Amino acid sequence: MRTLTKHTKGALLCVLLCAIGGVLFTGMSPQAKEQTQFIVGFDAEFPPYGYMDESGEYVGFDLSLAEEVCRRNDWTLVKRPIAWDSKDSELKSGSISCLWNGFTMNGREKDYTWSTPYVDNSQVVVIRKDSGIKKLSDLKNKILVVQSDSSALSALTGEDATEDNKKLADSLKELQQVGDYNSALMNLESGMVDAVAMDYGVAAYQLEGKEDTFILLDERLSTEKYGIGFKLGNTKLRDQVQTSLLEMLYDGTFERIAKEWKLDSSTCLSFDDKTYADGKPVPAIDTDSLSKATEKQDASSDAVKVKKKAQKMSIREITRQLSSGMLATLAIFFLTLLFSMPLGLLLTAIRMSRFKPLQWIAKIYISIMRGTPLMLQLLVVFFAPYYVLDVKTPYSYRFMAVIIGFSLNYAAYFAEIYRSGFQGIPIGQREAAAIMGYSRLQTFFHILFPQMVQRVMPPVTNEIITLVKDTSLAFALSYAEMFTMAKQIAAAQTSLTALFVAGVFYYLFNFIVAYGMEMIEKRLDYYR
Amino acid sequence: MNILEMKHIKKSFSDKAVLQDIDLCVSTGEVVSILGPSGSGKSTLLRCATFLERADSGEISYLGENVVRNDSSGNALYPKRKDLQKAQSNFGLVFQDFNLFPHYTVMKNITHAPIAIQKRAKEEVFQEARQLLAKVGLTDKEDAYPCELSGGQQQRVAIARALALQPKILYFDEPTSALDPEITAEILRVLKQLAAEKMTMVIVTHEIDFARMVSDRVVFMDNGYVVEDGEPEDVIDNPKNERTKAFLKKLHV
Ligand SMILES: Nc1ncnc2c1ncn2[C@@H]1O[C@H](COP(=O)(O)OP(=O)(O)OP(=O)(O)O)[C@@H](O)[C@H]1O
Ligand SMILES: [Mg+2]
Repeated sequence: MRTLTKHTKGALLCVLLCAIGGVLFTGMSPQAKEQTQFIVGFDAEFPPYGYMDESGEYVGFDLSLAEEVCRRNDWTLVKRPIAWDSKDSELKSGSISCLWNGFTMNGREKDYTWSTPYVDNSQVVVIRKDSGIKKLSDLKNKILVVQSDSSALSALTGEDATEDNKKLADSLKELQQVGDYNSALMNLESGMVDAVAMDYGVAAYQLEGKEDTFILLDERLSTEKYGIGFKLGNTKLRDQVQTSLLEMLYDGTFERIAKEWKLDSSTCLSFDDKTYADGKPVPAIDTDSLSKATEKQDASSDAVKVKKKAQKMSIREITRQLSSGMLATLAIFFLTLLFSMPLGLLLTAIRMSRFKPLQWIAKIYISIMRGTPLMLQLLVVFFAPYYVLDVKTPYSYRFMAVIIGFSLNYAAYFAEIYRSGFQGIPIGQREAAAIMGYSRLQTFFHILFPQMVQRVMPPVTNEIITLVKDTSLAFALSYAEMFTMAKQIAAAQTSLTALFVAGVFYYLFNFIVAYGMEMIEKRLDYYR
Repeated sequence: MNILEMKHIKKSFSDKAVLQDIDLCVSTGEVVSILGPSGSGKSTLLRCATFLERADSGEISYLGENVVRNDSSGNALYPKRKDLQKAQSNFGLVFQDFNLFPHYTVMKNITHAPIAIQKRAKEEVFQEARQLLAKVGLTDKEDAYPCELSGGQQQRVAIARALALQPKILYFDEPTSALDPEITAEILRVLKQLAAEKMTMVIVTHEIDFARMVSDRVVFMDNGYVVEDGEPEDVIDNPKNERTKAFLKKLHV
């Protein structure tokens, strides 16, 4: 076996340290140009408000409004898909300017600084056409599905839920929660559940073209309103956006955009709202420079090109779109291996050192990294600079956080694998080397390390294959790797095809990885 | 001159006294066999002599140069790693289970340490390694890996590997007990040749015939003590100590 020369080893270590240092440094440095950016946070799986269309663009009613607001204020719009569970951290840490994503105000009035409501959205119940369910009370002993942390869920079981809704929830056989509407409707179609409760606007989008399968109950669970959520206290930005929205309402732009998205029947932005939810007055707009929307303009706006539901994509198109996500997945995979494998070795060295305190540090580190979910670790790495160090991180830090998080986690696993590899080497090898005059370092590099490498090939292969699949966890930081994109496409397409394509990608990737590892294993197998 | 001098060596594992008060001197060109029942401390003595184990008290000198000595309270005082390593270059050890490096070929097993550790010239080392392989009868196995060799062949490689470092004294801990009896002859032949070349050797063994044939001196150990020390004929054929007698009787000598 050829081992690395002393110089290459030193160089590798330097590169590794510099890379980590560099990542941390560039990750923390403030960026001046952020100021003119207006960063909209949305979950990209919420058509028609914000989602990915068939060309891979993020589009939607809310994003169209945001685009117009930015045009009027001379801001650069940044559309930032986020993991919905992290929305509050994203907003607090300043990595987004606002949440604008069919965001329900009801029940959250005190949690954000809100614009006035602009969409009146009711919670409706979708059923199969042939189900025989006619009214809400027919749902007794049936299975109802809602999205987790959704308005429908809080309408049924939240603090502000009406007595009727609470009773309804109690009478159900089961109230299931799912991650996205797409799979909820698949469940409904297959008969595994009986009804799905969701926002009206979402239902209208999802049901388009499926009128033969699904219908809406006439009765509604609740009415609720959408607003734009800003960080608590950020009234300045809120007023700027509100003013632009009202100007758009005044000159007819708002109505036109709503029509484009077929939401004109549910908008509720109005000059009658004179105060915000927090009681502060809504600023009046200067109407002199604007032309009021006229009847004539209104009529002509019928000619507005209505935005269609995302067109059906062929498997080829889906594959082509996913391939950019595939690159991201590959980047996570290779960079994680590049950093975590040497880092694991360092950790093993510390873990096996004779200095007890060091040993304990490594032990505790490994036990924490292996004992807590990787997803949680990713969130900690990403948000720690803000919450702990009070440093604002640029968007590029997201990718670095993914790599740092994965590398720190996988280093712990590799360290334990290496350790068991070292421990399996007979003590006689060390003793023979000691008597022959090898120093401890020489024994390590010439005698122990090469033998360890051969011994750990099978468990390392396992770990690497797990990593291929784990890359999808980067969605926790809204990093657009393949699985995140597949989910977004699946949501926009209301079909699981993209997920299947992603599955095939993962399988092929793993197949190649397993084959490569087998080759390496064979090459190392010249001795026993 | 004495190559090795061990005086009043004591060693316990937890509460068990394994070496009670051992004196052992080996002079240049001498071949000493150590006999004794299982558990009498023979391996521990070799491990103390090679610094794989640290004696609790006593003195150890190589080539007249003191390496380990007693401090004022009678505990063995070991020098720094560097000095220990320097003393280590005086000797080699051949293990019962060979401990060849499995990832190196026969040639690399023999040449790696002289080149990488002792920094000797490659050409010279390779040439010498080939001579050593010829001496142990393995000329055609240069490029084989240890796993491709029989036990006897591996042990001969191990001997060549130890010799390549040009030790002043070579220790063997039961070099044949992991091998089939008929293979013992291979090793014996090599040891005899080394003895003829005046290589200083200390051999721990269970094989009386082996001891009789190669050694100038036989040391008999029991329960952590040296109970007999003399010419092979005296110790093996006319033992004075009762324990030696009992031990030899059990082996039907
Ligand atoms: N590392 C150790 N820890 C504890 N006890 C040990 C250790 N090494 C040896 N001993 C004990 O010391 C005693 C002497 O062991 P040693 O291996 O020196 O005997 P030996 O004469 O070489 O025996 P054998 O002929 O079986 O090889 C034994 O009772 C053994 O159990
Ligand atoms: Mg022994």
